[in-house]
Amino acid sequence: MNEIIATNGLSKSYDGKPALIGLDLAVPRGSICGFLGRNGAGKTTTLKLLLGMLRRDAGTIRLFGEPVDSEASSIAVRQRTAFVSEDKELYPFMTVNQTIRFTRPFFPAWRRDLEEKYLDLFQLPKKKLVPQLSKGMRTQLMLLLAMARGAELLMMDEPTSGLDPSLTEEVLQALADLAASDGTTIFFSSHQLAEVEQLCDRVCLIDRGQAVIAGVLDDLKAEYRRILLVFDAEPPRELAGLPGVDHLRRRGRTASLLAHVDVDAVVERAREFGPCSVEVRPVTLKELFLDHVRGE
Amino acid sequence: MMLWYKAWLETRWRFAFLVGSILLVWIAPLWLPSTGVTPGMIASRMWVALQLESVLLSILAAIYLAGAGINTQTMYSATSGFHGSMLFTLSLPVSRARLLVARAGLGALETCGLVVLMAGYMLFLKPGAVSALQAFDYMVRAVVCAMAVYALSVLLACVLDEMWQFTGACILWVGFFLLQSKVNMVSQISPLRGMSLNCYPLTAPMPWAPVVASAVLAGVLLYASVLVLQRKEY
Repeated sequence: MNEIIATNGLSKSYDGKPALIGLDLAVPRGSICGFLGRNGAGKTTTLKLLLGMLRRDAGTIRLFGEPVDSEASSIAVRQRTAFVSEDKELYPFMTVNQTIRFTRPFFPAWRRDLEEKYLDLFQLPKKKLVPQLSKGMRTQLMLLLAMARGAELLMMDEPTSGLDPSLTEEVLQALADLAASDGTTIFFSSHQLAEVEQLCDRVCLIDRGQAVIAGVLDDLKAEYRRILLVFDAEPPRELAGLPGVDHLRRRGRTASLLAHVDVDAVVERAREFGPCSVEVRPVTLKELFLDHVRGE
Repeated sequence: MMLWYKAWLETRWRFAFLVGSILLVWIAPLWLPSTGVTPGMIASRMWVALQLESVLLSILAAIYLAGAGINTQTMYSATSGFHGSMLFTLSLPVSRARLLVARAGLGALETCGLVVLMAGYMLFLKPGAVSALQAFDYMVRAVVCAMAVYALSVLLACVLDEMWQFTGACILWVGFFLLQSKVNMVSQISPLRGMSLNCYPLTAPMPWAPVVASAVLAGVLLYASVLVLQRKEY
């Protein structure tokens, strides 16, 4: 089984309000997958479902090729998985050293070499209590605890939120090194599209609890094209209905189409509406994101 | 083992605070106006203080020690809600039942330690009047009855945040105290009466009804706590 994370029809609602609606997700082993979406799109809910912190309403979860359908299977998964939560909360009554000593015995594959390496790299003060650490240091400590576990899968919820650019770069580099050296699969949610583009080879974009784009980042960028059309008058709404058009945005006399199937044919059909000018250009991840969460 | 270590770090200051409080209650009579007070009178005053305070202190200890770490994990950061570091704990490869056993187990041991400390002090105060067996009998019943109080607090800690757990437990036990004073059957099996020296003096035979009822109640409440924690979503 090549997929380390696979969900099928995963659904979850809170008090009758759906948070996930039949989410299908597939993350291949060894990949670095960015999990994108607006606030409330269902990213954190997905991560918590994968780790057994929430119970699903419907659907299936397979991690490491095995179904996760009981507490025992969830524990087995957590033995091979590291998690960094969004709030980066650790025990306030422990020092850095105590926190590491506490976590270490739970993971037989614990990597002392990585522990030493990241302690040194992040320059964490071993004797300080967790509340005495800055948010950046707390994040670094959480990352150390996650990366030294020797886990095959690293799941992170907004790992760089609240970090300054220099710390962010340090963290991204550490993650890239870990993936390259150990083949660790990394699955992380983020709002920072630039860092997703920098680090990830795959992305999955969810909106309103459903996956809207998923795949290899370079393939997606090669597949999608932006078609800009300028008209004499207001652009026709019918453009949105053209085969191959994913999204249409209209502003003034300009229409912007996002297309990913047979782009040349889409351009030809669009010309039939009589635009003054037509321009086709590649798209960025940011454009893909914005079009899918804001498109008409 | 590390979960017990974490539970100890989490509760050690509470435990120290309670030990300090108990010692303070005991030595408070020494600070009363001392003109003409003989050592025997001091011991007598301490005995009275012990009888009056031991039940109340046991209840407060049982409620206080069951607080942080089960569901709420200390309200260190208001911005992240009441769960605090719970997500980190839940990401460890450990069952929720084991998490509860370690945390509640350590709190129960600490509660037992405090109750035994109070009961054992009697030997020191009344060396002639109380036999070792009588003191042991009292320790057993005080510990078992205190476990019922503790188990209710654990259950409340599984569903409420710490402030409401403490308040809720106090309200429930005050209500129970009023109920036992009105309903004779409740009074016969009440854990509060079971640990009281006024209701069952040291020389009285072991009051089995409250002891057995407390043991059953503690078991049921702890089992319910495990079920609640296993179903809880974070």
